[in-house]
This record gives sequence, C-alpha cells and structure tokens, in this order.
Amino acid sequence: MASDKKYGGGGRKEFVRTRVPVVERVASAVILLLVVAIGLAIYHKGKIFDPNLYSVRSDALKSTANAVEGKNGTVPSAPAAAPAVTEVPKAVAEKSAGGEEASPEGGAEGSATPKPAEKGQPLEIALAGTKPMGDTEFYNSDTLYEKIDGRSPAYQSFNVQALRCRSFAVNAAAGSFVDVYEYRFDNPVDAFGMFALERDPKGSPLDFAPDGYSGEMGYFYRQGAVYVQIIASDVKPETMAVAKSIALNRAKELPADDSGLAGRRKLPADGMLADSVAYVPENAQGQSSLKDVFQAKYKFDGAEIPFFVMVASADDAAKAWKSFQDFCGKFGTVENLPDASGAKIFRAQVFGKWKVVYQRAGELGGAFDADDGDKARAFIEKYLRGELK
Amino acid sequence: MSASNLNETAVNRREFLVRLGITGALIAGSGLAARKLWQPNHFVPGFEKEKGLQLKSYAPEISKVMPSLAIVHGTEHEKIIRAAMGLLGGMERFIQRGDVVMIKPNVAFDRPPALAATTHPDALRAVAKLCFEAGASKVIVADNPINSPTGCFFKSGLTAVAAEMNLDLMYPETNSFAPLSLDGEILKEWTFFNTPFKKATKVIGLAPCKDHNLCHASMTTKNWYGLLGGRRNQFHQHIHSIVSDFALMMKPTLVILDGMNVLMSNGPTGGRLSDVKPMNTIVAGTDMISVDAYGYSHLLERDIAELTYLHKANDRSLGNINWKDTLYKEVTV
Repeated sequence: MASDKKYGGGGRKEFVRTRVPVVERVASAVILLLVVAIGLAIYHKGKIFDPNLYSVRSDALKSTANAVEGKNGTVPSAPAAAPAVTEVPKAVAEKSAGGEEASPEGGAEGSATPKPAEKGQPLEIALAGTKPMGDTEFYNSDTLYEKIDGRSPAYQSFNVQALRCRSFAVNAAAGSFVDVYEYRFDNPVDAFGMFALERDPKGSPLDFAPDGYSGEMGYFYRQGAVYVQIIASDVKPETMAVAKSIALNRAKELPADDSGLAGRRKLPADGMLADSVAYVPENAQGQSSLKDVFQAKYKFDGAEIPFFVMVASADDAAKAWKSFQDFCGKFGTVENLPDASGAKIFRAQVFGKWKVVYQRAGELGGAFDADDGDKARAFIEKYLRGELK
Repeated sequence: MSASNLNETAVNRREFLVRLGITGALIAGSGLAARKLWQPNHFVPGFEKEKGLQLKSYAPEISKVMPSLAIVHGTEHEKIIRAAMGLLGGMERFIQRGDVVMIKPNVAFDRPPALAATTHPDALRAVAKLCFEAGASKVIVADNPINSPTGCFFKSGLTAVAAEMNLDLMYPETNSFAPLSLDGEILKEWTFFNTPFKKATKVIGLAPCKDHNLCHASMTTKNWYGLLGGRRNQFHQHIHSIVSDFALMMKPTLVILDGMNVLMSNGPTGGRLSDVKPMNTIVAGTDMISVDAYGYSHLLERDIAELTYLHKANDRSLGNINWKDTLYKEVTV
C-alpha cells in the first residue's frame, strides 16, 4: 500500500517506467536531430527554390495523347480537342521557354493560354539565289501577337485566321534577306479590307495582282483570302530582285479567289487615289440598303470625286436606288437626269454636297460628297460609257 | 516489480522538476522556431507566395543647374547623340568608371533597321561608345521581344553591333525572370526580365519613336514593356495604365529617344518605307515623360492631349508632361 501511495494509488495505473535505456535515449536524440535537419532543409529549399525546376515538360505529356487501349481504354479525343503539345511552332516554343514557363505570376491573372497554331504546309520557295534562314513560322489569330504584338488587333478586326511566314537569305548580297508574310483571312473581302487599311499611297500598282502595289522595300498584295507581304531588308538591287521573284512566285502559287469582290473590280483605276480604296460592309452613305460597298476617291478634271459601287441582284439594286433617291429628296433637292448607257440616274444636292447616283441592272453606284455637281455628273457619265478603265 | 526496485529507479522531486523544465524549454523553443520559419500564406516550400523584387532607382541626382532634357537636330547618329550628352553635362555625369551599364533597346520585332520599328544599330553603337568613353567596364544590351529574340536582334542589326563593340548581349532565358512587385495602377505582381539588373549599376533606355496601333505611340516609356515576361499582351486592354506604370517601375539613369527616322503610321511593326519619315532628331533626358511629350508633339507631330498614358504619369507626379517647363536645351549640329 505504501508503494501505491508513493507512485500513484487510488486506482490509477502505476508509474513504473523510470529508467530509459541508453539505446532509446540515443534513438530519441537521432530522431530529434532528424526533425531539426528536415526543418532546416525545407527552409533552405524554400529559399533557393527555382520554379522552373518543377515546370511541365510538354514532351513528357506526349504519351498521354494516345488513347489507352484495352481494359482501361478511354474515349479518343475529338480532333479539335487534340492535345496541343505535339504541334508547338519553334518560335512559340522559344517564347514559352523564355517567358511563360518562367512566369508563375503570369498565369495568376486568369487569362487562358491561347492554343498554339497548327503547323501547316511549310513555306517552300524554290528560287535560285535564295536560301531559307529558318523554319516556317505559324501563328493563328490567338497567337498572332507573338509575331506582331500590338498590330495584331487590327488584323483580328478583319477576322485573320492564320499567319505563315519565313525569311529567305539573298545569296548575292551578304547579310540581306527577304521576309515573306502570308496572312490568311476568312474570305477575300476581309483580306482586301486589311490590305486597304495598310495601303501605301505612294505604292506603284502591280501587273500581277490587281489589289497590290510595290513600295521602296517590298511588295504587298491580296491573292484570294491571303494578304501577302514581301519585305526586303534593304534596297540593294540584288535584294529587291529576289523580293520581286518571291512576290511573283507567291502570286502564282496562291489560288486566286475574288469572291465578294465584284464591286471592287468595278472601281476604275484611272485617276484613283490608291490609298483611298475602302470596303464598307453595311450602311454605306448612311443607307441600310447599301451593303458590301466599295469606294474610292478619284482625281477628275481638277476635282476630287468620291465614288462608290455596289453589286447586287437587279431587284435589290433598283430598290436601293429608289430608297437613296427618296432619302436625298427628304433632306435636299433631287433632279432626275436622262438615262445614260442603260442606266437611270439622279443628281441631288444634300447638305451642300452633290450626289450623282446610277443603277444599271445589278450595279448601283455613284459620286458622293462632291463639291462640283457638273463634274460629278461628267465623271459618272464617262464611267458608264466605259471610258474610265 | 517490488517496492525496493521501484525506489532504486524512481526520480525525486528535484529531478522531476529539472526534466519538466527541460521539456518545457524544448517545447517553447520549438514554438519559437516554428514561428520564425512560418510563412502566413503557404508553407509548402517552393510554392510559397514570394515577395517580388522592387527595382532600385538608377536615376542621377536631380540637378538645379544642369539640363534634364536635350533636343538635338542633325543627320548623324553619333554626332547628334554626342551633342545631346554634351548638353546634359556629358556622359560622365551619368556613367562613372567601372559602371556596368544596361542599355534597353526596343527590339520587339524582327524588322530591318530601315523600317524604324526597332532601335537603330547606329544609335546603339553611339551610346555604347559614349558609355565606354565615360569609363563603363561593361555594357549589357537586353530586351525580351515577344518574337524570337535571336531573330529580332539579328534582323534589327543589333547583334552585329554587339559583336563589333564587344557588348554583352543578353537574351531572355528560362531562368532570367523573377517576380516583380509594384504598386502600380494595374501592374502589381508580374514576372520580370531580371537577370540584366543583377549586374547593372546604370540603366539607359534607348527607344525609337514610332506610331503604335493601340496606344498611339511607342517611345521611351513604352520601351520598358519589353522587360515584362509572361503573356503580357493581356495588358493591352489597359495599355495606357500599364504604360504609365512603367514610369513608376523604372527610374533609369537616362533615356534617349531616337527620332532620326520616325515610324509615322502602321506601327508598331510598320513594314513600308513610306511609313517612315526622317525627322533627324535625338531627344535625351532624365525624365522619360518629358522626353516622350516632346517626341509625341514634335516628332510624331500629334496632339499631346490624346496621349493618355503620359497624362496619367504626369498626374501621378511620375514625370513632367510640360517639357518646356523643364530645364532643356535645343541645338542643331
């Protein structure tokens, strides 16, 4: 009973373990030291942590792109959802290495990573005197900024689909090169729209591409739904000769397609101010009936005449002409002119400016915002006679 | 176990208290150590929220007698830049013997020099030469183009100048970036091209003067955009805010605006010589907002009222948009 009192009686368990063996003491010390060491190691690792150490190696994910066969089989991905890791363009991959992978904070902004552009057909140009300087680069609308940065929104506004580009060294001129850019749009009209937006007013027309011009350092034209830019590194004759050869080559190789551009073909070249050509998809001249309109300014008999043309069905053209005439009558004065060259014509003065508008079958067009009504009429009548080419 | 055995191995009160004290001290020590090592947000080593770096100021001391803005007109890069530095008190005012100078050009695109979309090689050559003459031990040239850095530096002609002048051309590599913290209007935490700043003791911004599709103009303030990493294009939606933040982020030793050939339209890429207009002017200064204000109104020939980012920076006292109110000198050489 005495021992019960001394070591904890009253029904509680006796405290009997009073001698700890040396082995156990040593083991305890080792464990404590290990805990301290682990703590210090974690602290040290945290201090010297390199986020790139744990970055994803996309190559390692390639194997997951294949559907698993057998018992653990998975439903194969649809083509659109195929993993993007297999087709990363070189330039994009370089940037990923340089910027995105090294930027954990970058992803924290919550923006989705754009899907890399699919690799298409390499831009091969078999021309003597040139040599590719690298691989063909591919960009889609989402990744276009990686090539042209702040310029990309302008192209996106015209529904750009893809960019394919490559540089070619000029063998005859050391250090010189020619860059080839092929911007593919959703249709020829949008390609034309972007081309027209960037048009150089001083450019010289091209005989091999109606929507095109040459500048001091390059060639720029639309071919089908593609807006082609051939940019030389300098103005050396050797470089410019190669640039021209490439421009001719691309115009020949890329398929022609003028869908939706019938109105553009109606704009005469004589007297046209090249940089004034524009495409107005709808509501041209403030008229809801004027859609897919092409317009340009012309130098004519010392005056500047803005001219527009729309190609539609004969019925729609007639309705639009009548609607436009009614509008002009409401806000100004209208004079019906004698028919000329199979077209019916009215002339109107609205808000101090002159309009001369004609309709001939499915073609509706006219001069607008002209300062001189007689010259505007003379321009239209000459156009209708086919004397403006 | 008998009572006698227990007596032999029992601890007395003193020993018990000593052991209790040691145990308590160990627990208290562990608690203190844990508190010292504890990080409030995450305690997963390597994934904890890092406190981003903050760039130090590289700006020179403000002088009440020396000009802060120099405008020089002429036709040769080196001659004009040398004259501009002369007006500011000489390159020795900014660069001392042994300095490691980082020059930040704008090499955003793989365009040839004639198209004026990138810093001109002649401008880089002239600035680097002046730095060496002032005693710089090393000149670093660094930028983080969106496009392939090697291609951009090569086609812009800067690779050749770097080789010729023995400059340290620094491309962005995977491990070149570090998180940056800034109390900007929009720039808070972002990945930053940090490697050049580990070595640099002086920083010079050397930018072309050009039209920009989104923010009207790219000059010396916008030039610092090229130091950001990641998907920085998402800032395009707030481009005036982010560009004004650069005046807070970066306090350079000097900025130089190359207005010899100005990209007047279709910027920032250009592509046609017809977009380029010779303006034959170099603007150098310690206040990037003043430099850009001159560039926008006199080189791009536009109304300064529309350049929002300069007004934002001016309103935050990050620079002076009224360049005529600064101490400036203008000459033709």
